[in-house]
Amino acid sequence: MHDTLLRVSGINAGTEDKPILHDIDLAVGAGETHVLMGPNGAGKSTLGRVIMGDPAYQVNSGTIEFGGEDITDEAADKRSLAGIFLSYQAPVEVPGVPLYSYLRTITQKRPELKMTARKFRARVGEIADQLDMSGSFLTRELNVGFSGGEKKKIEMLQLLLLRPKLAILDETDSGLDVDALSVVSRGIEAYRADCGGALLVITHNTRILERLSVDRTHVMVQGRLVAEGPASLIDDIDAHGFEQFERANASGGDRA
Amino acid sequence: MAESASGTLVLERVNTPPAQTWNHLRANDITLTVPVVSRKGDVYFALPRLFESIECGMGGAVTDWIESQASDARYVEVRAGEKREEPIIAESDTGIMVRAGAEATIVVCAPTGGPAQGTTAALVRIIAERGAQVHVLEFVCGDTEQHLESVGIVAGEDARVDVRQFFLGAGTTAAGLAVALDGNRARLDLSCRYLARDNDVLDINHVIRQRGRNTRCDVHESGVLDGHARKALRATIDLVHGSSGSEGAELENVLVLSDDVTNKTMPVILCDEDDVAGNHGASIGSVAPEQIQYLQDRGLTLEEAEQLYVRALFDEALICAPTSETRKAVLARATEILGSETASDLVEGLDLAEKSGPFATTEV
Repeated sequence: MHDTLLRVSGINAGTEDKPILHDIDLAVGAGETHVLMGPNGAGKSTLGRVIMGDPAYQVNSGTIEFGGEDITDEAADKRSLAGIFLSYQAPVEVPGVPLYSYLRTITQKRPELKMTARKFRARVGEIADQLDMSGSFLTRELNVGFSGGEKKKIEMLQLLLLRPKLAILDETDSGLDVDALSVVSRGIEAYRADCGGALLVITHNTRILERLSVDRTHVMVQGRLVAEGPASLIDDIDAHGFEQFERANASGGDRA
Repeated sequence: MAESASGTLVLERVNTPPAQTWNHLRANDITLTVPVVSRKGDVYFALPRLFESIECGMGGAVTDWIESQASDARYVEVRAGEKREEPIIAESDTGIMVRAGAEATIVVCAPTGGPAQGTTAALVRIIAERGAQVHVLEFVCGDTEQHLESVGIVAGEDARVDVRQFFLGAGTTAAGLAVALDGNRARLDLSCRYLARDNDVLDINHVIRQRGRNTRCDVHESGVLDGHARKALRATIDLVHGSSGSEGAELENVLVLSDDVTNKTMPVILCDEDDVAGNHGASIGSVAPEQIQYLQDRGLTLEEAEQLYVRALFDEALICAPTSETRKAVLARATEILGSETASDLVEGLDLAEKSGPFATTEV
């Protein structure tokens, strides 16, 4: 493994009245691609949100380190500026804020990305071309009235613009048609090629992984990481589903 | 119009909607004290009498006062079929006739700059004849003590009117807009964006009378309230007898950033016709938690996330500002509120600095 970029150690977390994640240990090296798979309701998205620092979830024990720093108690904006990016499964609509104003503001917040407005517009134009997006998107309100595929493209646009060290892609492939999936996959490839950042891809669909070189695969069932293995584990899941892991987890629970 | 007062007049209960609610709610109107200067002996050019019958948003008392105080009235006519490229700048008392099939852009920009002024006002009456296209842009960005803006528009058959209002100024702003969609298939698209903060008072009255058949109106108001600002919006869609097949929709989104804000919204749909549709919707509140979370996940603090909404108002106003004067006015206000760095970024981002004229030399 390369230098560890993200280290999640013994995390127990959940909402106020419901524990969701149990004893999660996960390490992602700089530049690595990890895949987190599991059946619906396993807690995959929750893990992504806990890493991002969503206050809707409480961390009851354990630590999260990023780049060697303990960020367990840091707010989401600090984690973002440190280099973590969470791509939403269902990007939020923000009426009243045009995409241009938003992109410009979040870019200018990062000293390493500060640039003149002229260069910024050129950069956004390049990325929009890469993602087959029309420039007219920029004057529209953030995610308002966009189709599911367009919203995911806007997430990819932000990913390529912000160049994070770690991108957590939460079911970015869900609800996409073949063409949109192809464009989003291109965006992910471009991120890997241009930024060399690490990826934690949360999915239960293997299509989006076809173009990626996966370093490690993790399987989550009922809030626990029950298996970890090389990229070949994805093929195994593709062929046999999650049942084997659910059974193993259930028997483990029985034993406990 | 900005005058030093030699006397004052109380304009009681102006900016009223066609149908009112309980008085104790204090949402029906606004009372303003305005200066009065004697014009005795002045030679005054009055508008053609045709304009006298146009309903203006703030009502007859405000029309009378502005007419009595304006040093002159200005009449502009756009000839039939002409597409006028240069915007018409509407001042204190202006009447504009856009003849059949013509197209024109009309800009109303409240006076700005210099030390805080007392009272300013604008009265604009527009007639859009059959098939005319009229684009109206209103900018209130100044630091006057109070600004009154009363606009009346009559749209004939197949006329298309779009109005974009930006109420971003300090002090008291009272603005009324009345649009009569008299002709069949006449259409209005109204967008009103506003910002009120500190102790600002913003009082808006929108009255849309749909008289022709198959007319359409689409009204969208949205803005940000902060500090101790007080805002009232009265929006009336009046589907008059005979307007069969017409549709009117009104929607307001208010973003409240402070607990001390007073927001009053009074939407009314009047209907005296069977085959019509009137819709109204409103959302009032602070930024939704999931929106805040999304913005924080991209590196913004709560305060920065809220400021983004304010920046967005100025971004849009600058995009829409068609003249160097209006851009200067918007930018001056943006500098005051967002700071010079952000204001400078707004200009650079829109590539305005490259444009010729006074704007290019504006210090930011």
